[in-house]
Amino acid sequence: MKKFWLVFMLLIMGISIFATETLVIKGSNTVFPIAQLWIEELKKQYDIRITLEGAGSSTGIAALFNGTADIANSSRWLKDKELVRMHEEGKYFVPFIIGYDGIAIIVNKKLNIESISLEELKDIYTGKIRYWAQLNPNLPKKPIVVYSRNTASGTFETFENIVLKGEKMSPTVRMVESTQLEIDSVKNNPYAIAYTGLGYVTEDVKILKVEKVMPTKATILSGEYPISRPLFMFIDATNGLPDRGPVKIYINFAVSKKGQELVEKAGYIAAYGF
Amino acid sequence: MYRELKYLLNTITIFAVATLSIVILTLIFIFMISESLPALKSVGSEIFTSFNWYPTYDDAEYGLLTMIVDSFLLTFLTSLVVIPLGYIVSAYLYAYANLREKEIVRSVLDLLSGVPSVVIGSVVLIYIAPVLITFEIWSTENLLLTIIGLTILSLPYVVSLTYESFESVDKVLFESALALGSSRFSALFIVITRAALPGILNAFILTVNRIMGETMVVLMVSGNANIIPKSLFDPLRTLTSAIASEMGEVELGSLHYSVLFVAGLILLIISLILTWISKSIQRSWKH
Repeated sequence: MKKFWLVFMLLIMGISIFATETLVIKGSNTVFPIAQLWIEELKKQYDIRITLEGAGSSTGIAALFNGTADIANSSRWLKDKELVRMHEEGKYFVPFIIGYDGIAIIVNKKLNIESISLEELKDIYTGKIRYWAQLNPNLPKKPIVVYSRNTASGTFETFENIVLKGEKMSPTVRMVESTQLEIDSVKNNPYAIAYTGLGYVTEDVKILKVEKVMPTKATILSGEYPISRPLFMFIDATNGLPDRGPVKIYINFAVSKKGQELVEKAGYIAAYGF
Repeated sequence: MYRELKYLLNTITIFAVATLSIVILTLIFIFMISESLPALKSVGSEIFTSFNWYPTYDDAEYGLLTMIVDSFLLTFLTSLVVIPLGYIVSAYLYAYANLREKEIVRSVLDLLSGVPSVVIGSVVLIYIAPVLITFEIWSTENLLLTIIGLTILSLPYVVSLTYESFESVDKVLFESALALGSSRFSALFIVITRAALPGILNAFILTVNRIMGETMVVLMVSGNANIIPKSLFDPLRTLTSAIASEMGEVELGSLHYSVLFVAGLILLIISLILTWISKSIQRSWKH
């Protein structure tokens, strides 16, 4: 899959060299599928060249500083050191919220559990709780098989911030490369637990309530569901926001009705219009 | 005149192409070393003495030791399975199989060696892993599966190399042994094996090298948990899978990035040592 994107990107890059008006977008892999849908749609309507690269939120923002990207996708807010650097370099980045991502906690359908607290979740992922029976005596006395996305993933970052709160994940946690693999493992393994973006969850697994709240569109938008995050795109507005041109077109489309519908299509929660 | 010019042109072309590969190799070395220097300088010995790998946290820890141990452990255990297996298969091919059987086995192995490792990883993950659950093994990505995957992957390799070293021995030796009344079994395992020993050892070392550097299968089925497995059903994480899994989104130029290059450098050095051993075995064979 990664190779496919690499070829895809190289292809776009190759084409873009000959284009005059190019829009360069870099950043979060979480936002990548949204941006991809947007670009597909935009290319039908306008004659602009857009290159999209998913290399992580930090890389995107760093590219915005260097001027090698016009738009940085990010699944997190700016870090302190980035704010300081902005101040030092006299730059001003404007954030746009483009949608929300809720992280669902999933277990096997056969497991007799409906709800979990943030505290319990933290104990599972830091290795303090190792058996399901420790959580609740009614649960089987079997080891919990814990799955996580690898550290490169934006979902990991959010989970770490909200659930682990700075504590380190136990080394026994299996770091896997893809969300699909997590879902398949939970589907097949009656004692597994994993977390994934809400948009990816299928019928094959059970979603747990966290702090007694079910992750739904409503609870994520209202902030009731604890493990969710806004998704951003940052634009360098040191010299003001552009009045015309590809950046302007892109922003307008992102917050438009069609653009927000595509956010939902990519598996996330639209920020506007609902 | 024309001939000389042609000769000169040919020489230059060949020389340039040959130099190019050497230059590329040298550049890779320089690149690896220069990228890993920042980590070696500022993290220092922690890399080789600490078991904790938490590169993305605020109080980051960059210990590669768990992965180094896992890499060696996995290579050792896989070699323990695949080398005897490969030896037996190639012994069968050499001494027992008739032409038809030979053809079938060899072409199957050739086909197998062409299967991409990602496909082997998927097959193991999708078809073998669920079987474990029926045996009440809940950890479905583990050491055992990784060994199975790597065995499938490297068997063709070890068979063809070992078989070649058998073939390089003069056929007369085998036939005279048989003529003197030895059985096929002892002729092969004593006479031919002794004659082909350097070649066989060489084949084993190259296989070990191959297993050590394999990434995709390991990444997919090892479970990627940073622990040293205590049983066959525990997950593990090797240097190669750490690089493959984290290089994609690491911040360029950061310490984390640099430590991943140290991991690469370790693999490169191991591979160099193995290649050197293999070369010196070949050399001693010739004299």
